[in-house]
Amino acid sequence: MAPLDSTLTSNLFAIGAERLALLGKHHKALMQGYLDGQVDETTFSEAALKKLIAARILWRPDEQQPLALRPLVSELIASMVADENRRQINADVAEKLEQIRNRVQAYRDAQFKGDYSVAELQLQRLTEHVHDLSGQFEEAIDSLWHRLNSDFGFVSSLDEKIRENERAQKQLRRLLDGLDLLNFDELIELSEGNSHLRKLLVSQLQNQLSSHHSSLLEVQKRLVQLLAKFRQQQARSMLITNMAAFLRQHPKYQPADYPNRSELPGLFNQAPAIRPQAAIALDKASERDILAELLQALPKPNRIELPELHSANFAEQLVDEAIMARQQALKTDVENFYLKVIDRGGKLSALDYLNEQQLSWDSEIWLYQILADYQALPREEKQMFAIRRDETPASEVNQLMLIRDIQIALRAA
Amino acid sequence: MLHHGPLLERLLAGDFICQISDEDAFRHLSNEQAQQEIDHYLRPLNRRLVSNDDHSVFYLGYHELNKNAREHLSSQFALTVQSLLPLLEWLQLVQETLGRDSALTAGDTIKLQEFVLRTEDNQSLRQRLQTLASDRFFNSQSEQLDSQVKLIFRRLKEHGYLLQPHAERQYYVVTGKIDYLLDVIRFIRDEEQLPVDDTPSQEALL
Repeated sequence: MAPLDSTLTSNLFAIGAERLALLGKHHKALMQGYLDGQVDETTFSEAALKKLIAARILWRPDEQQPLALRPLVSELIASMVADENRRQINADVAEKLEQIRNRVQAYRDAQFKGDYSVAELQLQRLTEHVHDLSGQFEEAIDSLWHRLNSDFGFVSSLDEKIRENERAQKQLRRLLDGLDLLNFDELIELSEGNSHLRKLLVSQLQNQLSSHHSSLLEVQKRLVQLLAKFRQQQARSMLITNMAAFLRQHPKYQPADYPNRSELPGLFNQAPAIRPQAAIALDKASERDILAELLQALPKPNRIELPELHSANFAEQLVDEAIMARQQALKTDVENFYLKVIDRGGKLSALDYLNEQQLSWDSEIWLYQILADYQALPREEKQMFAIRRDETPASEVNQLMLIRDIQIALRAA
Repeated sequence: MLHHGPLLERLLAGDFICQISDEDAFRHLSNEQAQQEIDHYLRPLNRRLVSNDDHSVFYLGYHELNKNAREHLSSQFALTVQSLLPLLEWLQLVQETLGRDSALTAGDTIKLQEFVLRTEDNQSLRQRLQTLASDRFFNSQSEQLDSQVKLIFRRLKEHGYLLQPHAERQYYVVTGKIDYLLDVIRFIRDEEQLPVDDTPSQEALL
């Protein structure tokens, strides 16, 4: 029996490995098939399609239908990528329990016969079944938590979320019913007198299932809370839509005068604002320091600009006229000076001319006006005159140059 | 009582205090003893603490209703009734524009730019926004979408329905005053027995 077994196993190994490799080889096309609900046959070669069908990865649900992934393969993908739209929850406990019972019986029979290699194999299968049972709950609980934590975000509308939540609650009830089927007295009885079985069926399974049970109760609590929240949101949306529609249809609608009812509803008791104002208490000596501080902290203006007074404006105008006349006289004298320079042809000292003509201008103003007139000349005319400033430093320590006199000469054209 | 100073000032200024607008103050106000202390303090001002049915917002009301108080409340109520439709339409518009699956609730965030972008390319949303902006509650004179939206959001901020956490950043958080608004609507509906449903019919459930 043993050699036969090993060929069977090696055969199984070869086929299984080859078919798993098929999944990897066509991973993109198969994943696309998962998303589209059908596979595009043109992306596969004839031989590849045959292999995929033989490997029970693809099938044709109906003669007219395109090829699609087998449900078990879709389920595998859904579980791997936690796609809550497609993920299946298997709450069938009775079948698993039946298998466990049969395996225990087969194990005991083999032990009784003294066929230890078979007994070993049966124990291994039994272990797998027990793990499957626990894993089935774990997968379901993971899926439920995942949906909860994403707020059922995998569906778009609130109505769908509510339906999904209700579906999850039904699944959860089935899972809890399934857990109730597990009778630990029976499991204790099954494992009686065998430490392996006792460890597997009683201590390990019981531990796991009781933790699953409390997880499921927690999920249930959260699902109920979330459903209440969804319902509340739905009610809000409906209230908003319907009230807006009503008010649009009845533009002149006026509700009763609640504020003048003897029993005023709290909602409409909304008092006007009172704004408490406060200032420094000048009569309180202790606050003087604060006041002084505040005063110091005030930003200081850079320069105090006094507003101009109307009377000052009036006087200014009179002065203006007198100055204008004098300014004009000054300009005429300066012009005469320049004409003299042109007449003479040589250079002429400004101060000498001032003395010569016995003009009454202050020498500084005189020099200033000559410079100003020179600067005001057009460029070509400016070039006609050579200007030389007699300058001396203001003092020995001050390098500021003061103009003592100006010499103007006519340049040779 | 001095440590309640800032809170009292906000309440006196007519602010609605909710978990979003001021979490610490809200927690404080949820304490019954603190409520009594504040009521006691406000009594000489003829004010008292009021909250909506599920205690999600607090604000100040009159302690005693004299003639002046009634007059004020009447005009206040008239304003509230006037604001109902524009506010409801705004709620619908935001929900539809941003493609949300449920109505706005306290704590939701709205990005102004996202709202403008989505409205810009949709003629019917634009039209609705324009009508809404020119409603006298918002009273926009502008033709520009951007300034219409800004005005709407600013007005809602002034009325306490929205909070702008950063003055220079254009995103807003919905406050608990929205709950108050819906409570007012529910109250009017129940009192007046208006044909306004908020539970889905059996057909919709199936």
